[in-house]
Amino acid sequence: MDSGVWALQLLNALQYSMLLFLLSIGLTVILGLLHFVNLAHGALYMMGAYLGVSVAMATGSYWAALFLAPLLVTVIGAVLYFALIERLRHSGPMNQVLVTFGLIFVFLDVVRLLWGDIALGLDVPPLLAGTAHFFGIAFPTYRLFIIFVGLLVMALLWVVLARTQIGAMIRAGVENSDMAAAMGINVGRLFFAVFCVGCALAGLAGVVAAPVLSATTGMGVSILVPTLIVVVIGGLGSLEGAIVGSLIVGFIETVGAALAPNVAAISSYVLLAAILILRPQGLIPARG
Amino acid sequence: MRHLFATIAVAAFATASVSQAALAETKVGLLLPKSGTYAALGNEIEAGFNLALEEAGRTGDFTIVAEDTEVKPPVGLAKARKLVLQDNVDVIVGIVSSGVLGALRDFIDGAEVPLIVANAGNNAATGAACSPYIVRVSFSNGQVNRPMGPWLVDKGIKKVYTLAPDYAAGHQMIESFTAAYEAAGGEVIGGEFTPFGQTKDFGPYLTNAKAAGPDAVFVFYAGGEAISFVKQYGSFGLAPDLPLFGSGFLTSPLYVGAEGDAAIGVVASLHYIPTLDTPENKAFVEAFKAKFDRPPSEYAVQGYDAARVLLGAIDAGATDRASIAAALPKVKYTGPRGPLEIDPATNNVVQNIYIYETVKADNGLTQKIVGTVEGVRDDPNGCMLQ
Amino acid sequence: MFHQTVTRSLVLAATLAGLALYAIFGGFFAREIVAEIAILAVLAISLDVVAGFGGMVSLGHGAIMGVSAYSYGVLTVIYGLPPLPSALAAVAAAAVFGTLVGWVTGRSSGIFFIMATLAFGQMAYTLVFKSRWLGGDDGMAGLPRFDLAWLGIDMGSSLTFALFAILLIAASYIAAAWVLRSAFGRTLAGIHANESRMKALGVNTVIHRARAMGFSSLLAGVAGIVAAQHTQYISPELLFWTVSGEVLIVVILGGIGTLIGPMVGAVAFVLLKHQASNYTDYWHMVIGLILIAVVVAGGRGLYGQAEHWLGRGARKAEGLRRA
Repeated sequence: MDSGVWALQLLNALQYSMLLFLLSIGLTVILGLLHFVNLAHGALYMMGAYLGVSVAMATGSYWAALFLAPLLVTVIGAVLYFALIERLRHSGPMNQVLVTFGLIFVFLDVVRLLWGDIALGLDVPPLLAGTAHFFGIAFPTYRLFIIFVGLLVMALLWVVLARTQIGAMIRAGVENSDMAAAMGINVGRLFFAVFCVGCALAGLAGVVAAPVLSATTGMGVSILVPTLIVVVIGGLGSLEGAIVGSLIVGFIETVGAALAPNVAAISSYVLLAAILILRPQGLIPARG
Repeated sequence: MRHLFATIAVAAFATASVSQAALAETKVGLLLPKSGTYAALGNEIEAGFNLALEEAGRTGDFTIVAEDTEVKPPVGLAKARKLVLQDNVDVIVGIVSSGVLGALRDFIDGAEVPLIVANAGNNAATGAACSPYIVRVSFSNGQVNRPMGPWLVDKGIKKVYTLAPDYAAGHQMIESFTAAYEAAGGEVIGGEFTPFGQTKDFGPYLTNAKAAGPDAVFVFYAGGEAISFVKQYGSFGLAPDLPLFGSGFLTSPLYVGAEGDAAIGVVASLHYIPTLDTPENKAFVEAFKAKFDRPPSEYAVQGYDAARVLLGAIDAGATDRASIAAALPKVKYTGPRGPLEIDPATNNVVQNIYIYETVKADNGLTQKIVGTVEGVRDDPNGCMLQ
Repeated sequence: MFHQTVTRSLVLAATLAGLALYAIFGGFFAREIVAEIAILAVLAISLDVVAGFGGMVSLGHGAIMGVSAYSYGVLTVIYGLPPLPSALAAVAAAAVFGTLVGWVTGRSSGIFFIMATLAFGQMAYTLVFKSRWLGGDDGMAGLPRFDLAWLGIDMGSSLTFALFAILLIAASYIAAAWVLRSAFGRTLAGIHANESRMKALGVNTVIHRARAMGFSSLLAGVAGIVAAQHTQYISPELLFWTVSGEVLIVVILGGIGTLIGPMVGAVAFVLLKHQASNYTDYWHMVIGLILIAVVVAGGRGLYGQAEHWLGRGARKAEGLRRA
């Protein structure tokens, strides 16, 4: 393979990693901070895509969808939080898995009811349409945009977590929520805020992915397993873990698919199993 | 007085004949997916089926029992058993998924119930696993793809790279294309099978395809995967230098709209296009649009023709399972697709395959026919019906 | 800790009798439903052994069942071996697979254990799906049922098969109950209650967990044989993780940790599914809402909740008597 092809494959991998990152960062912080296994995260991603499609159809603008879909998904997330999640926060992983599994089913049919069974497309805005030509390679402009969004979110989150007071509170809450509460941090409100941001990111991932992957009823379930793998490999509750995890899984799945598709199909699972056996807390967990 | 008596007698006789005909209603089991990813196809087939019955004014002659296969082989089989053993249907129509068809085959054959396959394209169903009770009016995976082979060679395309999802249908589509293309003098220089149903991102595969340096790319994708593939192909800007060809499902009228401008210029082969310029098709498209507010797709035509073939068998005098099964393969007519008959050697449909290009129209996309291959017929491939 | 109470025995007998009567008098579709219930019930019982009594929630049991079904398919269809020895070998294969998975994941717990079993299940699914010699996603047809003609029994009849399946539910329950009441079962309960204490007592918890998964997989393998013989056709979907998810829902719906509950759950789930899909195309939503409702209401499930109320009634009566 020549360097141009390598460059393209690396860009493909990076773009997929960014998508995984947007989803996994929300899930890992929710898991690390609230100790809540939220399988419905994938369903929120799906809602982001479908709501994005609807907003775009109603307003004719992709940018409106990009802005509104995450907000709408956050509202849905907030409703879920007060209705279910708060109640189940201390119920243990099994109940959480079950309830959120049930939510997956509910969202699946709600989407089918409201939007039908056929896949829906979302058009790329004219600004981002077309192919970018640089260094002798041609790569879709929109995919570059996805990479840009991912990196931007990564940078913003890093700044917030490492440099702001709220970031410090979150990190304290992840490390030891009882201690943090004892220090006077309103842990309940913090959890809610973090949960909302997680949902917003899932919705953002959905609307960002929709032009490439289309809004389909199966998308929530199919993205769930790679996202969970990222969270486990990367380590619970940490931004660095989510970054590393999404890059690893993104690259294995993409470059692996390019080089050896048969192996690539099970490689993420093999890696997951290996991590669970050898280093179950993940590569860079928030808590040592 | 005698006059009155005669009138009453005639009236009584007429009434008796009418109710006799009403008693001779045919019970149809409609076995289609109503949930899951193929629900849209199931609905489309049912729409076409009902339209045909309405058009012929024969809705009253049929009792329809509809069941959902959920695209799951065990569920499909259980529902088929219910239709046959509990509902006592005379004939079953439907089956979208080849997996479900595979599960049903032995049961249908053993229970001796006629099955009109309205979609599932698995080659073996009218090949090595054929049965006198299974008649297919849709297509076989080989049939739809073979004509593209010689056609591409004719257009000067010597080297092709193939892509398809990694499941039975994907393999069959590519294998039949490859055999026909290479027999006509072309060369398939490489290809890949993408993880079925899970591939959302075709980027790595498109990059590999381009790197291999073919004259063109030939693919099979359907449904959501087709939409993603075509859009991504467009976004990578491959088209002018590397034209895209495929099995017609790639740009099926049912969802080509979601593909947008990326679908323009893609040439594919399919057994039905809504823009076919024949009186039969014009009438069909008009009737379908009037009822459903959208143009028909190949799935609608498959359902429509399933009903037409069944009507043909009933009109030839068939009344029960055995006679329907015997009469179905003999039905011949010209429908929206063109001339349609069933090959007694395989019980598969013999039909035209249309090679078409997706072009821009006033309000969206439409299909322009660039080639017609008439009377495409499958080899027996192990079928021992004759 | 598992106790075979009078209530449980009564409910067991009543359910099995009810299923048998339904099969005998309910017509053809009833027999299909009973077979479906049986497969799910045996699988649910097997899952309850590890999840309810060992605290090991597995999302891989569908795949384990699939390993048994495919082993049976390979031995009978591809190699042409007779059904009974093939079935025994297939069940053993599932047990071996389950033991390996249990051993490898023995040190994981909670969400990590769930994910590990999910991973192994998906690996098995992918391997089977991609194997064209197994039929790939077209599946494998022509799997035979047991030939009991020499006993005068026609396994081809749906009624006979349904009754045979009911018998297997009973056998699986009895086997599970016996194991859970034995020393092995009590050790497992101990590990569930406090693993470090058991380790301190010298128990090799990883090996013990692996053995528990092995026994559970044996039962799951039995479910696989019933599944394979019922439709006489298998496809890779049997191994997909959503099947495991469904059986977990059934266990919860019925009542985890009661062994009877999962069986009751299987009956309720299958009947509900068929009823719901008659009225609506959106029965996923129905199941999802019911699952959420059950968990929010305390997670005891239908039978578990019933047992709880009975227990409360008995305790109240005891209290009144004393007063």
